[in-house]
Amino acid sequence: QMLRLIHTTTAVQRKNVGASGPEKYTEAFIKKQIEEFNLGKRHLANMMGEDPETFTQEDIDRSIAYLFPSGLFDKRARPMMKHPTEIFPEQRKIQWREDGRPFHFLFYTGKQSYYSLMHETYENLLNAQKYQDQLIAQDLPFQKEKSNLAGSRWLTKIELEEMLLEKLSDDDYSRFIQLLEKLMALPCSDIEEKYIEKFSKEVPVQMQKVVIEPLQHDERGVAFSTGEGTRKTARAMAVVYDNGSGKMTVNGTDILHYFPVLQDREQLLFPFQFLDRIGKHDMVCTVSGGGRSAQAGAIRLACARALRSFVTEKEVEFMRQAGLLTVDPRVKERKKPGQEGARRKFTWKKR
Amino acid sequence: DHGFGLPTSARGCLSSVSSQDVPTPEKPRAVFHTSESDPAKHTEHHEGRHYSIPLQEVKAVFPHGLPYRFQQQIQTFNEACVMVRRPALELLTYLGSSNLAHPAVRYVIYGERGTGKTMTLCHVIHYCSRQGWLVLHIPDAHLWVKNCRELLQSSYNKDRLDQPLQASAWLKNFKTSNEHFLREIKTQKKYTWGKQESTEEGRPLGEVVEQGLARVRSASDAVGVVLKELKQQSHRGSFRLLVAVDGVNALWGRTTLRKEDKSPVSPEELTLVYNLRKMMRNDWSGGAVVTTLSQTGSLFKPSSAYLPQELLGKEGFDALDPFVPILVPNYSPREFESCYGYYLERRWLQHEKARTEDGKAELQFLSGSNPRQLDRLAGPL
Repeated sequence: QMLRLIHTTTAVQRKNVGASGPEKYTEAFIKKQIEEFNLGKRHLANMMGEDPETFTQEDIDRSIAYLFPSGLFDKRARPMMKHPTEIFPEQRKIQWREDGRPFHFLFYTGKQSYYSLMHETYENLLNAQKYQDQLIAQDLPFQKEKSNLAGSRWLTKIELEEMLLEKLSDDDYSRFIQLLEKLMALPCSDIEEKYIEKFSKEVPVQMQKVVIEPLQHDERGVAFSTGEGTRKTARAMAVVYDNGSGKMTVNGTDILHYFPVLQDREQLLFPFQFLDRIGKHDMVCTVSGGGRSAQAGAIRLACARALRSFVTEKEVEFMRQAGLLTVDPRVKERKKPGQEGARRKFTWKKR
Repeated sequence: DHGFGLPTSARGCLSSVSSQDVPTPEKPRAVFHTSESDPAKHTEHHEGRHYSIPLQEVKAVFPHGLPYRFQQQIQTFNEACVMVRRPALELLTYLGSSNLAHPAVRYVIYGERGTGKTMTLCHVIHYCSRQGWLVLHIPDAHLWVKNCRELLQSSYNKDRLDQPLQASAWLKNFKTSNEHFLREIKTQKKYTWGKQESTEEGRPLGEVVEQGLARVRSASDAVGVVLKELKQQSHRGSFRLLVAVDGVNALWGRTTLRKEDKSPVSPEELTLVYNLRKMMRNDWSGGAVVTTLSQTGSLFKPSSAYLPQELLGKEGFDALDPFVPILVPNYSPREFESCYGYYLERRWLQHEKARTEDGKAELQFLSGSNPRQLDRLAGPL
């Protein structure tokens, strides 16, 4: 008995276009794109009146930004002209011959590059162990040089996927990293180090070392230092003098008159109270913009920054942990269309 | 006399006091207090110290003069302690050495908001009452130029307006403060209060006051009569007169009152103000005029104004022209310590951190050594 096709919807019969994956670019296509890019580069150089031979990518970016000015916020949405290898994502070339036979011996595992990588790494591991056995046999002392102290990290899973051009699972990734760690633990010779370097990345310097300015001295010989601070839309610039009596002046007026509200004065007090230096410094500052609270916050930040020069590094660290040196990132949130405010929606009516 | 302590020893005393759990009541008192309750004997020695006024005296001398917060403080602490400060001492020396034959000297106490002008005035009033002067104290002239419910047309002068409520309130308080004077001083003219009532010549002034209190309609006229009589008689020299006005800039400013046809009232049209202005002129002798400028009650003046020129306006400044200005500044460090010590000693500052040095520095910074700010700050602590 034959199975007869019962009446089905057309939707099932329609080809599922999206499931076939992104379009594959042929090599010829990529080559053509590269030629076009180079030609275009020369044309652009001629247009801008510069030498086509020494026209770098930065010059291209500058020229495009000049010729096609765009007000879009996202840089990736603006017009750009880059080398095709940067624009078209790398794709796997066809992995099999014309007769259907794959090139790689591990093709049928599904993750050929991953397994080949694992095999390679394990090979290097065995080499290292053999080398170690040799050294022990010869009774030679083997050095354990710690080359990567703390400034490097392994590739992340995403970076590894990009390198291998195939998807990995978390388990695979962790196994690979474990292998690498094991390899690292052995006394490696130069060969292995070169291999490992392919999979490690330099961690950039943690924090930009904030340079604390030294104290300056004015005509009377009194030490002082300046600091700037911002909060919302307020900008403040404070000058803190040493050997003072706790007098504070804001824009020429006393703080008692400028900030009638207690809360603002408490904000000003905070950096000095934290360092137990309430009556020891004088402060003169200028502030503009923002409202009452924002100006107080801005002056507080400016004072804290200025006080860093008077204080030991440990106390600077304490201040940082107390949050005195952090810029408050909160700004007014944008109002969205279709809502009354940034978050407030219009009154919901059932009908 | 206990007052030998220098600021350093005061601090040392205080710190030793705070370290003990139960301080002896005598020691801290000695530092920030004086037993001199007679302002006449206050000298620079006593500067920065508190002296207490017995409560009966308070009721007798200041029926209506003290600031509201201070009255609350008196009720809480069960004693009235006033700090002796330099401007007050200055004034007292001037008053003590003033020649009563000369025309009355006018003193204007001015200063920023909340620095203690009214308290200085009260100190001076206390001194004068102890010395036996007749004190004519108007607690706040601003009360006479704003928020007045009833305005009657004056029977004496058609253009002017009467304020019966304020006048009667003031007369009542005036009676309590100067009773014995009112019996002694006699009127010199006959005054008619309408069809049937009149006061004969030679009757004690107390009768005029009674008349004003009984017939509220003619209270403002009674006030005018009292002022005129006192001015004439102090000229003769039988007693010394102190005119103490708080918020004198109200007399020359604008008013918030309106007539029935919604036209604004200028101060001259009010009987009380008119009569008081006559007192302010220095055409009489045998006493002194001590006034305070006040921004808090003033109308239509910016809050940052505190100088006499700004608050009095051109008219007022010219009217008061040769006067002795006395500036009342914020607390000096010594005065601040004294005030802080007083609050501590009366256990007004309950917070543990308030007792430490850091707490004191914090209070000083946050209040900016302004007495009013300090008082308000110390309240919730």
